Amino acid sequence: MIESALAGLVLILQWKALAFMLLGILLGFWVGLLPGLGGVTTLALMLPFIYAMKPHEAMAFLLGMHSVVATTGDITSVLFGIPGESTTAAIILDGHSMAKKGQAGRALGAALSSSLLGALVGALALALAIPVVRPLVLAFGSPELFMLAIVGLAFIASLSGQGARGMVRGFIAGGLGLLLATVGQDPQAGVARFTFGTLYLWQGLDIVAVLVGIFAVPEILDLVVRGSSIAGDAPVGQVRKGVLEGVKDTFHHFGLAIRCSLIGTFIGITPGLGGPVAQWMAYGHAVQSARTPEERKGFGRGDVRGVIGPGAASNSKEGGSLIPTIAFGVPGSASMAVILGGFFLMGLVPGPDMLTKNLPITYSMVWTIVLANIITVIACLIFLNRLASLTNVPGTLLVPVILVLIFIGAYTANNQYGDLIVMLVCGAIGWLMVVAGWPRAPFVLGLVLGKIAENYLYISVARYHASWLTRPIVLALFAIAVVVICYPIWQARRTRRSEHA
Amino acid sequence: MRIRFALATALALLALVGCNRQTQAPYFEGKTITIVVGYKPGGGYDATARLLSRYLPKYIPGTPTVIVQNMPGANSLIAANYVYAQAKPDGLTLGTFNRNLPIGQLLKVEGVKFDMLKFAWIGSAASETTVLAIRNDLPYKTFADMKNAKDPIVVGATGPGANTYDFPLLLKEFLGVNLKLVSGYSSSADIMLAVERKEADARAGSYTSIAPFIQRGLVHPVIRSRASEPEIANLPTDESLAPNPRAKAMMALRSSPEVVGRPYVMPPGTPDNLVQILRDAFTKAIADKDLVAEAKKADMSLNYVTADEAVAVMKEVLNQPADIVEEFRKYVKFGE
Repeated sequence: MIESALAGLVLILQWKALAFMLLGILLGFWVGLLPGLGGVTTLALMLPFIYAMKPHEAMAFLLGMHSVVATTGDITSVLFGIPGESTTAAIILDGHSMAKKGQAGRALGAALSSSLLGALVGALALALAIPVVRPLVLAFGSPELFMLAIVGLAFIASLSGQGARGMVRGFIAGGLGLLLATVGQDPQAGVARFTFGTLYLWQGLDIVAVLVGIFAVPEILDLVVRGSSIAGDAPVGQVRKGVLEGVKDTFHHFGLAIRCSLIGTFIGITPGLGGPVAQWMAYGHAVQSARTPEERKGFGRGDVRGVIGPGAASNSKEGGSLIPTIAFGVPGSASMAVILGGFFLMGLVPGPDMLTKNLPITYSMVWTIVLANIITVIACLIFLNRLASLTNVPGTLLVPVILVLIFIGAYTANNQYGDLIVMLVCGAIGWLMVVAGWPRAPFVLGLVLGKIAENYLYISVARYHASWLTRPIVLALFAIAVVVICYPIWQARRTRRSEHA
Repeated sequence: MRIRFALATALALLALVGCNRQTQAPYFEGKTITIVVGYKPGGGYDATARLLSRYLPKYIPGTPTVIVQNMPGANSLIAANYVYAQAKPDGLTLGTFNRNLPIGQLLKVEGVKFDMLKFAWIGSAASETTVLAIRNDLPYKTFADMKNAKDPIVVGATGPGANTYDFPLLLKEFLGVNLKLVSGYSSSADIMLAVERKEADARAGSYTSIAPFIQRGLVHPVIRSRASEPEIANLPTDESLAPNPRAKAMMALRSSPEVVGRPYVMPPGTPDNLVQILRDAFTKAIADKDLVAEAKKADMSLNYVTADEAVAVMKEVLNQPADIVEEFRKYVKFGE
């Protein structure tokens, strides 16, 4: 195993492979930064270029590009409150709030360092998991995946406001998300649900258009109304400083970063849960780390832990999602589906062979993820001060540019006007939620988990009737879900008691 | 005044020269042909279009640029409606859509605003064969073994309207195989994983997508649909086992669009000479040595199905007696 790991490193350090990786990184950097220009689409566009490459070169190129998209997507999310990718929306809640308080530098520092940490953990998990990966993935059937979705939904409890009122609002928002997830043609009976006679809604709501609406539109309105720059009156010096402080923050909350990286890796390994889920579960976990109600209130208003959690998870997920792709030929995310196409082009057949005969190539992928992330983070750290200064640019100059970006971003979801309407309607919903003090995170969580929960519940019942309820992993996950729901309640009770004492 | 006149004359002369040049130069020179794909990037329809877009220019006089535009949504109804009614019939738009669109038209699905027979047909870039593959560790070696199964055989599927669902459904209804259909998996790869972890026993799908798993020794195919590939020519077809003409008609209706697996059309009213140029280009591009090599690497197998053959299939699907259509409607829905 050690020899294979070294052989993999040697493969990737050949000048041609390295050059292709750098090219990939350069492309991925911009794709991530620009909202709407999705990583998946770009990967698909790049596939024809790999015909002339050797397998390890092609993988260095594709994975190099793929691994940095999530990192630079975080930057857009933090600076402007626009999700750079559908997988980097959760970081907006606290990251962009920090930017508004004039701490853009610190938020970016924390986002990038946690991304790097997450990527390293994910790659390490991938390297270590290679011998045991097949039984691990096979242990997760549809009932387990359904329960995992329930665990994810349970995080609504910690993503809601405090008190009974906050909780009720959170669960209503989550329910609305679940409801919107049912839009489109259902896979059991083939019935078109809530499509109102339009063809556009057959495929369901596009997550990118919804996220851009929910998060970016309220930010833009806010910026216009305030009439100042994003960072308000914060002095330029303060905004640009702080990067190092953000890096320190990550190490200060090292345990949290590692735990969220593991959450990301795990979600990545489990095919079928999809990319956007990991960051929200990590965010929910980060919120749980608040020890007092005051601390809890700080989340969503610029707590650095709300940046570190999703930042770590969205990058560690990628190492994880390579596992089912390599070992089974089953992609763990949409991007991996395209990379899988690349495998076939290279004559690599995913499956047991990749873990034995082609092990060096598998390890060269691990090394690509590691190197690409290190290079990107270093490159970003150099530009970070300048990027952070963007939050000092007056809103009147920034708003037109952001508007163009979000319209393009939403439109590229399906290249249809419907995308823009969805974006605007969701923008109105998002704005109302902000104004009325309703939490947006449970809504998004419901939306991304709705289809998964529905389909796997159906499959579980159709396949196993009721006997799936007694499977050990299902029971364990159910217990976790109960703990996740009860923890905030228990926490609130404990603080109340200590106040009385 | 005189200067103005001179200028006007010069311009008119220039325009004349321009026209003259245009009549001599090939129509497609300096132009861009757009292939409208009814799906997002990344799938089989998209991959085929992108492969063709790189080889077609070589075989079209004037070597135009060929680009791919994705217009996803509503199982490619949106793209088909666009190419049918909105795209100009100037030879610069090609469309490639869901092979099941004729089924959608037959069942009068809401949103179908085209007539498959009125498109200017180029043909199909490939045929797809649906097979049912079952896990190797089960005691069923052949389809005959499966028919004797006492316990239900679990077949994983994506949803109605997809070949993963419709093909086994008709086997179950008309050939009396003890199958249990479980749908809701997000993709065909997802079903394969369910087969691997023994949640599902079998799955149906296009032979090209199952082939890697057959090579890996996970599953073996037991029955196939009408269109065929050399490796599986010996398998029984669903239609050959049909107990009565009615069952056979249902199966034939479901599988005939597969012969036109990657349909390519142009807007109705596109001039015949331009359509013919594209047909010739398709014939030659799909036979191109380099294209064949590339397709082989990507596990795609392209074969050109002529426009006449494609139209014949469309007619076969669309000219069904009303009672057959009503019966068919009970089983098959229009989908992906």
